[in-house]
Amino acid sequence: MSKKNQMPTLPPQAKRHLGIKAVNTISNVFIYILLVFITIIWLVPFVCIVLQSFNVEDTCMVGYVIPKDWGLDNYKALFAEGSPFLKWYLNTFIIALCTAVGQTVIQLCMSYTLSRFRFKMRKPLMKFMLILGMFPGMLGMIILYNVLADMGLTQANAVPGLILVNIASAGMGYYVSKGFFDTIPKSLDEAARIDGATRMQILYRVILPLAKPIVIYTVLSAFMGPWGDFVFARYISMNNINGMNVAVGLNSWLTADAIAYKYTQFCAGGVLVALPVTLLFLFLQKYYVEGVTGGAVKG
Amino acid sequence: MASVKLTNVKKVYDNSVVAVQEFNLDIADKEFIVFVGPSGCGKSTTLRMIAGLEDISGGTVEIDGVVVNDLQPKDRDIAMVFQNYALYPHMTVYDNIAFSLRIKKVPEDEVYQRVLKAAEILGITEYLLRKPRALSGGQRQRVAIGRAMVRDSKVFLMDEPLSNLDAKLRNQMRAEIILLRQKIDTTFIYVTHDQTEAMTLGDRIVIMKDGFIQQVGTPTEVFDMPANLFVAEFIGAPKMNTFKTDLCCEGGKYFVKPYGATIEVTGKKAAMLADKGVRSGEIILGVRPEHFKLTDENDPSAIACKITVNEMMGSELHLHALTENGEKLIVRIPTVSLDDDVRHSMVYGKTIYVTFEGKVMHFFDKETEKNLLV
Repeated sequence: MSKKNQMPTLPPQAKRHLGIKAVNTISNVFIYILLVFITIIWLVPFVCIVLQSFNVEDTCMVGYVIPKDWGLDNYKALFAEGSPFLKWYLNTFIIALCTAVGQTVIQLCMSYTLSRFRFKMRKPLMKFMLILGMFPGMLGMIILYNVLADMGLTQANAVPGLILVNIASAGMGYYVSKGFFDTIPKSLDEAARIDGATRMQILYRVILPLAKPIVIYTVLSAFMGPWGDFVFARYISMNNINGMNVAVGLNSWLTADAIAYKYTQFCAGGVLVALPVTLLFLFLQKYYVEGVTGGAVKG
Repeated sequence: MASVKLTNVKKVYDNSVVAVQEFNLDIADKEFIVFVGPSGCGKSTTLRMIAGLEDISGGTVEIDGVVVNDLQPKDRDIAMVFQNYALYPHMTVYDNIAFSLRIKKVPEDEVYQRVLKAAEILGITEYLLRKPRALSGGQRQRVAIGRAMVRDSKVFLMDEPLSNLDAKLRNQMRAEIILLRQKIDTTFIYVTHDQTEAMTLGDRIVIMKDGFIQQVGTPTEVFDMPANLFVAEFIGAPKMNTFKTDLCCEGGKYFVKPYGATIEVTGKKAAMLADKGVRSGEIILGVRPEHFKLTDENDPSAIACKITVNEMMGSELHLHALTENGEKLIVRIPTVSLDDDVRHSMVYGKTIYVTFEGKVMHFFDKETEKNLLV
C-alpha cells in the first residue's frame, strides 16, 4: 500500500481550521511589513544623528548620509577645554537626579497616604489634583518665572530653580502609584502595625519592597522629565550659558552662524544625552512595563 | 496574659452605620473566648477595636486594667492572626516571624532562639527559608500563628483564622489550635462564623447578631439553654426545628401539641416551667434534630411527615421532611439504630412518624422570641 493511501482524510472542520490559519498568516505578514516600515521611518533620524556624530569632514551640509571620514573628533571637542558641554551635561544630571529623588519620595509618600489613610477632604483633594493636573504646565510658566526671578533662581542659578519647580508639583502625579498601592492588601499594614512598626517603617519595609516596579517607574519618569526638558529650562535660564541644561545648550549651537561648524558636535552631544537613558531602559524595562500596566489596570 | 474588659463599647461608622453597640464583656486572664455570629454581626469589628485597628466610637476597652482606647496597636501588647494570613510576601518565613522582634530591636541571637522555638512548636522549622508563596494554606496559617506567638503578648487575637482553609485542613488546624492553646497559655479572643469552631474551641462563647450580644456562656450553656430563638437556631447543626404550637397546663402538668400530637413536658424542664409560672398559650417550640426519633402512627405523640430529602452522612441520616401543614422539619437519626431495610426505605415521598421526649424541648415566647426558662 502506498504511503499516500495511509493518510487519513481530514474532516471538514480541520480544513476550515487550516483556512483560518492561512488567513492569520497573511494578516500577520501585512502587519509585520507595516511595523517594519514604521520602525524604519522612526529610526532614520536616530541613525543619521549617530552617523553624523562620527563625521569629521569640514563641511556640514552634504548630500549623503554615511560620512566619508570617520573619527571621534566631535566627542573630543565636546570635552575639550573651554567647551561648555560638560557644564550643561552636569547641570542636566544634577537637575534630573535631584528631581528623581525628591519627586519619588514626595510622590510615594503622597500615594501611600491617599491609599491608606482616611481623612476629611481626601476625595475632594484627589479630584482637585487630578483636574489641576489636566492644565498644561506651560500655563503657569510666566508666573513661575517671576516667582523664581524674585527668589534669584533664574539665569545662572537656573539649576536649583528648575529642581524646585520640578519637585514642587510631584504630589500631583500620585494616581499611578496610588493605584498600585491599593492592590497591596491592607491587612499587611495592619499586621505590621500590630507587630509594632510605625507608618514610616511599614512604608519602607513592607510596602515599597512589594511595589518595586512602581518605585522604579516613578524614579525613571521623574528622571526622564528634566533630562529631556527644553522649553521650561530655556525660559528659566534666559540664554545664560551657565544655567543651561544640555538640551538648551545644544540648541544654542543651531544658530545660523554656528550650525556650519557645530552641527556634527551637536549630533555627538545628542548621542551622549540619549545614552544613559537608553541604558537605563534596557536594564529596567521589565519593571517599567510592570509599573505602567500594574498601576493602570488594577488601579 | 491579661484580662480584657469591654464596657459599653460602641462602633458607629462615618456613614452612620452602627456596627456594634452596648457591648459589655469581662474576659478573664487565660480565657479562650470566641465571638461567633453571622456575617455583619460586628464580631470582627469588635476584635479590631480591641486590636486598635478601628477607632472606638463609645465605651472603653481595658487590657489588664488599663484603658487602651487611645493607644496604638503596637502599644497594646497584643498579637493577631488574620484571615488571609497577611504574611509579608517578600520575606522568608524566618523574616516574617522575626519582623516584630527586629522592629523592637531585640538582639539577633535572641531573635534566632525565639523564632526557632516558635517554629518547632508549630512544626515549620524546615520551611523557615522559604517565601510564603511556596507554602500551602495550612503552612501559611502556621507561620501567621508563629508570627503572633513569638511576641509573647498579653492577648492573642484571631480573626477567622481557619476560614481560608479547606474542610479537612480546617478540622486538623482546629485541633492544633486547641493543643497550641495549652502550650502558650494566654488570653485568646477568637472570631469565627462557624458554630462548630466556637463550640469546640471556646471556654465561653459570645453569640452576636446585628451588633448586639445575644448570649454569653460556655458551649454547654448556650447549647442546652439558648437565651433566645436566634441563639437556638445558630448553635447546633443542622439547626434546631422550631414551630408555633400550644403549651397547655393541665392539673400541674404541661403538654405541647405540635401537629396533632400530644407530648408531655417532663424532667427538669417541667419543673422549671412550673417555677417560672408559665401559663397555657401559644409559644414557639424548639427541638433539635438529634432529639427526634422514629415511631409508628399509633403513638399519640407521633408527628406525621413526608421525606423530601435524605442526606446520608455515614454515621447518621439527615432527613428533611414536610409536616402535614407544609412546615419543614429536619430529623437526625443515627444509622446504627436502623435496620438496613428501614434505612433503604427512607426515600423521597415516604411518610414517616417522628416524636421526641418531653425533657429535650425548648420554649420561646412567640412575641419576644426569648427563652421562657431563662
